[in-house]
Amino acid sequence: MNRKDFLAAVVPLATAATSFTKENPFSKSSHLKRIPPYLKKGDTIGITCPSGYISLEECQSAIKKMQEWGFNIRVGMTVGLKNFTFAGSDDARAKDLQQMMDDPSIKAIMLGRGGYGAVRMIDKIDFTKFKKNPKWIIGFSDATVFHCHISQNFGIATLHSKMCNSFPDDFLTAAQTQIDTIDSIRDCLIGEKMKYERLPIAENRSGTGTGELVGGNLSIIQMMDGSVSNLKTDGKILFIEDVGEYAYKIDGMLWNLKRSNKLNKLKGLIIGEFRIKPDDAGEEFGKTIYEMVMEKIQKYHYPVCFDFPVGHVKENYALKCGVRHKLIVSQQATILEQI
Amino acid sequence: MTIIPPYLKPGNTIGIVCPAGYMPLQKAQTCIETLSGWGFKVIPGRTLGHQFNYFSGTDKERLRDFQHMMDDKNIDAILCGRGGYGTGRIIDKLDFTKFIQRPKWIVGFSDITILHNHLFSNYKIASLHAPMAAAFNDGEYNNQYIQSLHNALIGKKADYKTEGNILDQQGDAKGVLVGGNLSLLVNAIGTFSDIKTKNKILFIEDIGEYIYNVDRMMYQLKRSRKLDGLKGLIVGRFSDMKDTTIPFGQTTEEVLKDLVKDYNFPVSFGFPVSHDKENYALKIGVKYKLNVDKGLVELRED
Repeated sequence: MNRKDFLAAVVPLATAATSFTKENPFSKSSHLKRIPPYLKKGDTIGITCPSGYISLEECQSAIKKMQEWGFNIRVGMTVGLKNFTFAGSDDARAKDLQQMMDDPSIKAIMLGRGGYGAVRMIDKIDFTKFKKNPKWIIGFSDATVFHCHISQNFGIATLHSKMCNSFPDDFLTAAQTQIDTIDSIRDCLIGEKMKYERLPIAENRSGTGTGELVGGNLSIIQMMDGSVSNLKTDGKILFIEDVGEYAYKIDGMLWNLKRSNKLNKLKGLIIGEFRIKPDDAGEEFGKTIYEMVMEKIQKYHYPVCFDFPVGHVKENYALKCGVRHKLIVSQQATILEQI
Repeated sequence: MTIIPPYLKPGNTIGIVCPAGYMPLQKAQTCIETLSGWGFKVIPGRTLGHQFNYFSGTDKERLRDFQHMMDDKNIDAILCGRGGYGTGRIIDKLDFTKFIQRPKWIVGFSDITILHNHLFSNYKIASLHAPMAAAFNDGEYNNQYIQSLHNALIGKKADYKTEGNILDQQGDAKGVLVGGNLSLLVNAIGTFSDIKTKNKILFIEDIGEYIYNVDRMMYQLKRSRKLDGLKGLIVGRFSDMKDTTIPFGQTTEEVLKDLVKDYNFPVSFGFPVSHDKENYALKIGVKYKLNVDKGLVELRED
């Protein structure tokens, strides 16, 4: 993941059309105790920045939209705070997140943006109160640190989705996919059962798998290896995405996944968008993401889908990490549905 | 106890092989001539000068060449032509059965880090982190770093002295030396090529990374407890570092210093192990003494 690219404009995807469908809300789930309470109108969402700097102005669109959804917004003191690339010092960022986690009046926490920095402060966080009263932590990219750590240590679900910096300034002129992806955050938070459908592509491997959904940014998942935040993937559906890395780096990280036994007992594998950095002249790597992935999992039989709309792109739908899903990959469609 | 492969004598044979990136044959010419001048026979492997896209051959070709060099009784040491990327793609297919019975020095750095640490972690066999073929070019074939490779190969014990750095943490340490390229070290965490660092002297170097990424990798070392229980740390050069549009706010050295200042072990900054020409031969798995004094750093084979 190349932080430099975070603020760059996202590229339009030339992939197959997506349809985005929802089912009726379901109140019962066999894993309910691990899922933070869903939000109701009037609940408060806190905004904090454990990683990179973002101005308050850049958060306004997100604030306004979430208020329209019927939520109150509490803006943390790290929003607009700047310490070079970071949203304040490690201590300041830890303190802000800690307060939001411990404050019972805050029901969910959305991160301002990604960037880099969560790993520098996560070990300062005391999760005691959060464990007793879990709430949704919302974000992606550098927020994968939280997804991995919270999944591994507390078994509490988190929300992998766009953050404040990805809300379009003007919803009237925004592309439909942008509106849909933002809406998917709300739908997840109010407890709708999510279902995503996508047209098949030839590189997919058909099959059906059921398991807890885990994943996030590939660079971060590798970086958690060996630590208390290390992601375990046995019996789970794993999704990965990354941005701005050279193909050879992606290949090396995929080998790390394989060699650290993260690919051998999966129920399914979802490859999101990989905005791979073009090779330098004369250093052409010569392998596509499809080849890089498939060569490492040839001997397994779980379903695999590519080009799933998750990653550093406009089509980045909200995914509930730690919640059971069913992945169906067939020649007719790819379906990921919460069960 | 570490298994030390036999040192070389004049008349012994060195095989040159490329397990990773492509290297044109002519770029290894000075290296071949120099090794011959040292009294060794040189056998270029089939992957030297061979190309498949980025690589010095397909995975199969690189695997076969390396396997052959490891198993061939007529080859006494293996020098990697260059690093790049690709050793990790073939390492799990290498069969070490014969090599364990007849270990030989494997020489290289950068992408070869995975092999060094794999060999030591799994088989306790020492290997040589040292300049590769390209380092002999541009008139550098006789510099002190190339000479240190020669000395290491013939079994002359190393005693490296270098200037101290203002960031150094003074002290003495004695321990088995492990380490290499930081990116490759963290890439191996969680796999069976991973190194244990407890009671060891660790050295790290890297090239072309973003400063924030060095920070991130150091946090991984820290959080995977690889800095706990170290006897000493040698920070080599971090060459050609890049910064992001919004500056990180610290130099690479400051990032590294921040991460190690709370530990009590001695730390040497700017030690001549790197992707630049300053790159002393270091035996992975062998015991060294590290003295970090004011103004002077000494790393001596025990």
